[in-house]
Amino acid sequence: MTNLKFEQFKKSNLKLKELDSIRVKNFKKFETKGFPTKKQEHWKYTDLKNIISRDFDELNIFSENKLSKINNNFLIKNFEHNQIILLNGNFIDSNFDLEDKKRISVKSLKDSFRIKKDFDEIKNFFEDDQNSLITLNNALTNDGVIFKIDDNYSFKKPLIIYNFFNKSSHNKIINNKVFLTLGSGSQLSLIDYYESEDNIKYFNNSIHNYSIKKNAILKKYNINNNLNKSYNYNSTKVKSYSNSVFENFLLSTGPNLIKNEVHCDLLESFSSCFINSIMLLKDEQHHELKTNVNHLYEDCKSSQLVKSVLLNSSNGTYQGKIYVDKNAQKTNGYQLSKALILSENSEFNSKPELEIYADDVKCSHGSTSGNIDENSIFYLMSRGLTKDQARKMIIKGFLNEVIETITDLNVKKLISELFIDNMNKTTL
Amino acid sequence: MLDIKSLSASVDGKRILEGFDLKIKPGEVHAIMGPNGSGKSTLANVLTGKNGYEIKGQVLYQGKDLLNLPIEERAQKGLFLAFQYPLEIPGVNTNNFLKTSLNTIRKIKGLNELDSLDFLKLVKEKSQKLKIEEKILSRQLNVGFSGGEKKKNEILQMTILEPKFAILDETDSGLDIDALRIVSDGVNSLRNKNRSFLIITHYQRLLDYIKPDFVHVLVNGRIVKTGCSDLAQELEKDGYEGVATR
Repeated sequence: MTNLKFEQFKKSNLKLKELDSIRVKNFKKFETKGFPTKKQEHWKYTDLKNIISRDFDELNIFSENKLSKINNNFLIKNFEHNQIILLNGNFIDSNFDLEDKKRISVKSLKDSFRIKKDFDEIKNFFEDDQNSLITLNNALTNDGVIFKIDDNYSFKKPLIIYNFFNKSSHNKIINNKVFLTLGSGSQLSLIDYYESEDNIKYFNNSIHNYSIKKNAILKKYNINNNLNKSYNYNSTKVKSYSNSVFENFLLSTGPNLIKNEVHCDLLESFSSCFINSIMLLKDEQHHELKTNVNHLYEDCKSSQLVKSVLLNSSNGTYQGKIYVDKNAQKTNGYQLSKALILSENSEFNSKPELEIYADDVKCSHGSTSGNIDENSIFYLMSRGLTKDQARKMIIKGFLNEVIETITDLNVKKLISELFIDNMNKTTL
Repeated sequence: MLDIKSLSASVDGKRILEGFDLKIKPGEVHAIMGPNGSGKSTLANVLTGKNGYEIKGQVLYQGKDLLNLPIEERAQKGLFLAFQYPLEIPGVNTNNFLKTSLNTIRKIKGLNELDSLDFLKLVKEKSQKLKIEEKILSRQLNVGFSGGEKKKNEILQMTILEPKFAILDETDSGLDIDALRIVSDGVNSLRNKNRSFLIITHYQRLLDYIKPDFVHVLVNGRIVKTGCSDLAQELEKDGYEGVATR
């Protein structure tokens, strides 16, 4: 891989001097660390360095001379929603006609690079980080969204952030960021939807930072449903304040490779965090979910339910950590991972971790993996179903338990339909 | 309907059924009673097609070889087993399962598939007869059902699928007296000159409600005695040992 040199880097067409030096500082840091390798504990199960150096040859700030249009066929139909459209990581459009626009502020990250006042608000998020992919993102991020919602505003309809990738992104590494501040007492259902044109191979390094203020409710849905050849790292950091709720559901079935990371700091009392995920993996797909829930204050609640089905030569991993600070008395933490391993060539890794420094807490975790119970198949077949029908019904049911946790009923219907469609196309 | 000729079945080299013979004609109700471990459930499993048994002998179902048919084809041809221990299938909606099952079988029979509306109407009618609360049918299949609800659900499936030949494997165990009567009524309402039943039970009580044409005593994998419904009462009085050695 030919790394970008500083000389070239400085020549890049950057407008804000302060940003330039932040980029350079982060880039230097990335150069010493490089892409994560299996030697790092948190990357034990996903060898990103190998993949990136094999498949990508350019490390640069992604830019397009001419912004292409998105193909409207990709937009979700028969589902009323607000939208933000990112094409190859670039903010190209938004539509909030269904909402009170005065209560919402949406800006492109690129625009904020040109205005000192705007940039100052997010500059802290460009501080160097232990995580080399975040330093890479800080150095090379080209665009993204800065999204703020007033206090006491409940969205009438969900918001879909479309992350589209077309052929301009082929063989490119694309870094972008999303910032979201949800004001006190406000509510939003946010669908982070990923889709690419056929046979496009890109690496998307996407870093999200959310702040959920007092009494606010954020329901976030990651939908990575359609099979594609992409590689993805998607890290979300959440700060949860008093009595707020963060619900995250991840449908992880589409890309070639993805590592989803969700870090949630429960900073004040009675805040809660629920992370539930489905992984349905086939062929050579490699998906990993890492959750880090930090109970930093008393009376907070968290739970994770992760269900995985592995076919062919696929590889799935769940690393889940619950940290309970010594101040975080009366913590309630729960974690469960279940996997069905349906092929001898597939692999599932599970690494639950509890780190507890308070003495009055309720925490539990469990992890199981196995095959489908033969007696259950016999039962269904004795009612006239073929073996294939029976297996599919059991797998659907197994994963459906996670979909049942979705509390936004409109979104649940949408995800349920996408999932059933996906299942029907899956050969067992 | 069913003609079983010197059927033997073993698991891991252990003989469970040995030279078992039984003939069931259309419209007949046969009861099989026997001590624990005599092979009653194995017989039900072998007839339904469960894997894991080494089988010898012959079974003709409606004049055709049964033992080489896959499990689902037996069901599609009208064979039904009400399970002793119905399986819990998490995440699978009971109504959806029933509808899939019914429509698969209807399709094979060359009947039109029922749409959701017609299906729900049918389920409503059948479940009311069995005094099954409708709301449990929108729950996950058998998950969190009481023992009685599970058994009633088996009989509900039977009344909906309308099999030609039904095996009831200890359907009475776990039922209270009221439920036993309701379930028996459900079975009796299905009795007709074309449909046959094989009822496996430990207790004579069920046979007070469902009057069998024949009662067989199964000991060590073979039928040692056959009689009319009075035999069940003798068994209740004298025990298997007393009757079998008489």
